[in-house]
Amino acid sequence: MTRRKFIKYAAETAVAIVAGAWMLVEKTAARVFVRAERIGKYPGKVKSLSGINTQGRWSG
Amino acid sequence: MKSGQSGDCRVRINVDGVLRTVVYGYPCSIHIDPIEKKPFFHFLPGTTALSLATVGCNLHCLNCQNWEISQTNPEQSEVVFCPPEKLVSLAKENNCASIAYTYTDPIVYYEYTYDTSKLARKAGLRNVLVTAGYANPQPWKELLKVVDAATIDLKGITEEFYRNICSATLKPIQDNLVATKASGVELEVSNLIIPTLNDKTEDIRELVRWIKANLGGDTPLHFLGFFPRYKMRHLPPTSAETLETAHEIAVAEGMQCVYIGNIMSRQGQNTYCPGCKNLLIERSGYIVLQCRVKDGCCPDCGKAIYGVWK
Repeated sequence: MTRRKFIKYAAETAVAIVAGAWMLVEKTAARVFVRAERIGKYPGKVKSLSGINTQGRWSG
Repeated sequence: MKSGQSGDCRVRINVDGVLRTVVYGYPCSIHIDPIEKKPFFHFLPGTTALSLATVGCNLHCLNCQNWEISQTNPEQSEVVFCPPEKLVSLAKENNCASIAYTYTDPIVYYEYTYDTSKLARKAGLRNVLVTAGYANPQPWKELLKVVDAATIDLKGITEEFYRNICSATLKPIQDNLVATKASGVELEVSNLIIPTLNDKTEDIRELVRWIKANLGGDTPLHFLGFFPRYKMRHLPPTSAETLETAHEIAVAEGMQCVYIGNIMSRQGQNTYCPGCKNLLIERSGYIVLQCRVKDGCCPDCGKAIYGVWK
């Protein structure tokens, strides 16, 4: 193995180790803020908008 | 959450390792309400707020006044499709000064609230939260950057009450109350008084003392009347006397702006200047009869009044 090939091999190995360790840490570390993605279709009934000018019957 | 499961709030699902929100853009309720109904008594009085909620909640209060929407599954609900851009245009078309994220808890439709708030701000609208404030500190602080006011319901002052009645814990809510006041977002606090559960004078005094010590005596405080609902139909409604006693305790402890809600009472409807005690805002229910606050100050003695007035 030439010196140049050895350096390339060592660098690639180091990058792979760091990337792997980073992915592992990301997966295992507790995340305090996860933004949820939207879902395609609402599972309930979707109706048309009406009656917004009446005061809400709900508290708040 | 395992794959395919929804969380405690019912509206977030683990879909193949990705957290998905079911309710983004799908409110179950949209109405134009007076801002006083939220309640906000120190935030643009006499204006209206486009008020919305999705189903679901991260608390499960046994006394929930809106349990039909907060404790239901998306599958069983009827909603409308209303993405953030549509909400902003509805608010503008109907001359609302603000958008209120209310009725259930905006924490469960966090992404929808956050995105709409950013758009609303760009369109010159204000954003207000009506919430229990039960959130982790980091997302809570992010949300505070895009809202203008918050009414936070401090439901009780003991861990026992929060655990047994609300399926929640007290400390994160207290921390978020303090963070909200410190952030400059206009803060009002509400407290629903439930007969036999949190209506003892010592409980009320402890709650008021915590608010005064940690949020300041200028924080508007609303004592709200309870009605028998959900899993607490066996309890009577809160009496006017109990609410008036709570009002008297809070005033005696040094709270400057104390109000009574959900009940017709002569006491606790109006705003008086903490300095000269003159009438500043006269209300009848949710109607503002007169507002004398001028440039955020009392017109008689010049004292600055806590709130957002223009």
